[in-house]
Amino acid sequence: MSYLDLTIKEIHEALVNKEVKVSDLVKEAIERCKNDKFNALEETNYKEALKEALELDTKEVPSDNYLFGIPYVAKDNLSTRGLETTAGSNILNGYIPSFDATVIKLLKENHAIMIAKATLDELAMGGSGKSGHKGIQYNPYDETKNHLIGGSSSGSAIVTAASYVPFALGSDTGDSIRKPASYAGLVGYKPTYGLISRFGLFPFTVSLDHVGYFTRSVDDAAILFDYLNKYDERDYTSSLKERNKVYPLKENKGKFKIAVLKEVIDSIKDEKILNDFNNLVEKAKEEGNIVDVVSIDSSILKAIYPAYIIISSAEATSNNANLDGIKFGNRKEGNSYQEVMFNTRNEGFSELIKRRFVLGSYALMSENQEEVYLKAKRVRRVVVDKVNKIFEKYDCLIAPASPTTAHSLSEVSDNLDDTYLIADNYLGIGNFGGFPSVTIPLGIKNHLPFGLSITGKIFDDEKVFEIAKDFEDILGLKNLSTITLSTKETK
Amino acid sequence: MNFEAVIGLEIHVEMKTKSKMFSNAPIHFKSEPNTNITYLDLAYPGSLPRLNKQGVINAIRVCHALHMEIDHTLFFDRKNYFYADLPKGYQITQQNRPIGKNGYLEIEIDGKKKKIGIERLHMEEDTAMQHHFSDYTLLDYNRAGIPLVEIVSYPEIRNGEEARKYVEKIKEIVTYLDVSDGKMENGSLRCDVNVSIRPFGSDKFGTKVEVKNLNSTANIETAIDYEMMRQASLLIKGEAIQQETRRFDEAKKETVLMRVKTDAVDYKYFSEGNIPPVHLSDEFIENAIKTSNELYDQKLERFENNYKLNLVDAKILLSSKELSVYYDEAAKHTDLYQPLANYIISEVLGYLNKNNLTINEFNVKAKDIADLVILLNEKKINSKQGKDIFAKMIETNKSPLVLKEEMGATIISDENQIRVDIQEIIAQNPTLPDDFKNGKTRAQGFVMGLLMKKNKGKVDPIVANKLIVEELKK
Repeated sequence: MSYLDLTIKEIHEALVNKEVKVSDLVKEAIERCKNDKFNALEETNYKEALKEALELDTKEVPSDNYLFGIPYVAKDNLSTRGLETTAGSNILNGYIPSFDATVIKLLKENHAIMIAKATLDELAMGGSGKSGHKGIQYNPYDETKNHLIGGSSSGSAIVTAASYVPFALGSDTGDSIRKPASYAGLVGYKPTYGLISRFGLFPFTVSLDHVGYFTRSVDDAAILFDYLNKYDERDYTSSLKERNKVYPLKENKGKFKIAVLKEVIDSIKDEKILNDFNNLVEKAKEEGNIVDVVSIDSSILKAIYPAYIIISSAEATSNNANLDGIKFGNRKEGNSYQEVMFNTRNEGFSELIKRRFVLGSYALMSENQEEVYLKAKRVRRVVVDKVNKIFEKYDCLIAPASPTTAHSLSEVSDNLDDTYLIADNYLGIGNFGGFPSVTIPLGIKNHLPFGLSITGKIFDDEKVFEIAKDFEDILGLKNLSTITLSTKETK
Repeated sequence: MNFEAVIGLEIHVEMKTKSKMFSNAPIHFKSEPNTNITYLDLAYPGSLPRLNKQGVINAIRVCHALHMEIDHTLFFDRKNYFYADLPKGYQITQQNRPIGKNGYLEIEIDGKKKKIGIERLHMEEDTAMQHHFSDYTLLDYNRAGIPLVEIVSYPEIRNGEEARKYVEKIKEIVTYLDVSDGKMENGSLRCDVNVSIRPFGSDKFGTKVEVKNLNSTANIETAIDYEMMRQASLLIKGEAIQQETRRFDEAKKETVLMRVKTDAVDYKYFSEGNIPPVHLSDEFIENAIKTSNELYDQKLERFENNYKLNLVDAKILLSSKELSVYYDEAAKHTDLYQPLANYIISEVLGYLNKNNLTINEFNVKAKDIADLVILLNEKKINSKQGKDIFAKMIETNKSPLVLKEEMGATIISDENQIRVDIQEIIAQNPTLPDDFKNGKTRAQGFVMGLLMKKNKGKVDPIVANKLIVEELKK
């Protein structure tokens, strides 16, 4: 057992107790990254990371700084000063940012050590972990590399699940952290919109984009939250609310009012997932929690995915209009500025991205806007209103985070059945409403994990963590990873 | 057939702020290219816009001066298009909810006032500056993101003169408010004109022609009048007017075709998610207005009422904002308002005009001019000494009080002393009293001449004159 296999909290204790040195941790993290078989990484930061680690070795580990010397990996759509950042797209090959994203800056200030950048679906658009310029990311729970990890934060999920590092930064516009967290048996968290700064996150859809992260325990997620939950004057959507520390989490076991979304459960066919979910509900009730089944009109839930695709594709056309080869990035020359832009974009974006841009442009055209884009925004409002109605009576909404375990490479899903339209895409609720939402491991089927989603009211992140912690205790899947899998499966 | 023109103006005014509208990059007009920039100005991925408070305050002030309804919530939109000078691929603007709507301004035509309606005023950001060369173009992002307000008039302007006066009024307002340099020649005030003509009495609009590249108010007038003529002659010949964009050729004094407008570009406007709606409190808006600079019309009224200046003098002092500020400053130090006005108009402006300078280049402090006027008015010095001191003030930047001492500029007004001198002169020229009595007034001047010569010109001439007459009459 390596210290790197532990949670942030445990590693921190070992550092404080001088059981392990920062440089040992970082060397091992680098070693594991170098031996990556699952295609998780982009640019690496080994040299700088080791230098920083050796410097930290000379210092006393502050017992109140959980991040001191902790290695991590950042999704490659977060701007890192001096380190190539491509967002998984050829159009940004060679782009070296001149500034750090706020989250990177906060972690640096607290002496967490960035080991590498994690690859992703191109420009964070896509949920497969197949569409980035590095090709397919493989689920580390299948050594034969026959399963996907999901996306778009595919690389971040791999490095955490395979214990290269105890946490990784990601971003979540539809479910880009929380869905891969389900397939990777991780805690995947996205905060209330406005709590963690988006400054330095390459934008996809500004009102849906969230910076979040993967950890292997709820406590770790709460610990990280306290470091990243900061007002940022550089992000005009940063909330002005006063920030309170959430860690250590309060013990409120058995005191929660929980809503189960009926339509999601009804559209899941996998019996193992349903069974594990129902068992959890029973145990939660036994603890004293109130758990009720609530319902939202399935036609509204089925509209989430199309509304999401329209809004996100439309706004993505604009958010990525800066990628024209004029100022930075992978310029393709031409005889006029129009030619430079055309060649740069034509060669730089994959077909999938172009398809989304065509769709998005169509939705924004003045003759279509009312019927397509604005209608999608109204759908978004209807969904949020329905969910807020539920939150008048309940602390959170729960359901399995995915209707299946990770997809195999050859699997083709039916994009129009209820399972896909509802259970596979309802996590978008969290982005539509800016709700705090977390995935935690719910169970394991055929050595592949699957997750539970918990979504709470806006600014109720603390309670979402408390509920997650309650369930984590019930489920006993804390610090699940490919390394610890065998010990958890026997339970 | 008689035609009337229907003219609408779109004016872009660059706001004077320390930093850009949505980034904290500084604004300096004389900086090296691409030095006043930050991440957002180059649209680096992950950079985010913030709202410049001063930009909003400036816009509120202009709205108020133009009698507009001011929106208490700010909404921003994106105008999407690809162009080399547009770093983000979109411009942040206010398409759906401009900060100001439904205003007007007044111009004077042949002594009569005419109201020109203003449809909207919105805030937006400037693009990068392009420098075109034979086979390449350089981009200067210093200008990218500088705050702009766009002021759109209703099509209520009827000819070139009205358009020129409208633009002059806008320029006067923004410069008096000190929200902009308002210089067309520098591009800090830019004007696009839409002109169509129709038969008198018709309520239909003709085909609209847009005219660009108008870099002075005189050119606006010339271009519009030319365009009206051109369109009228086309219609008389039975030809159709094309919907097109023309540019003003300064050398030829005429408009020339740039491009025929086909389908308008679809800018795919949608709301800017990075800047959520911003609520402006009544207090914020009132404060922006309350603390704003005086407008021309308010200042003119004040000069007439408080300083009791006549309209002609007041208008001369207000002919430039800086001159009026100079007068205001000087007037803090004396209540000799009219003499002060006279002095500034004749001496100071005289000096500036002669040397082709502006008041900004005049280094004499307003307080010193006030002191000089006081000295003259109290007859501590005579006008000749005044002129000498004024010249020295420009040269040395010293105060007139110091210079008076240094130059020994005093004036003798002691009656006894003067009388003794006069008597002495008359005694040496005994025929003078008779000459005087016989109507030869030359005698009076002769005495004055000798008196001044004796005292090196330092005798108070009024006192001296009175005494000379008295002595000659004896």
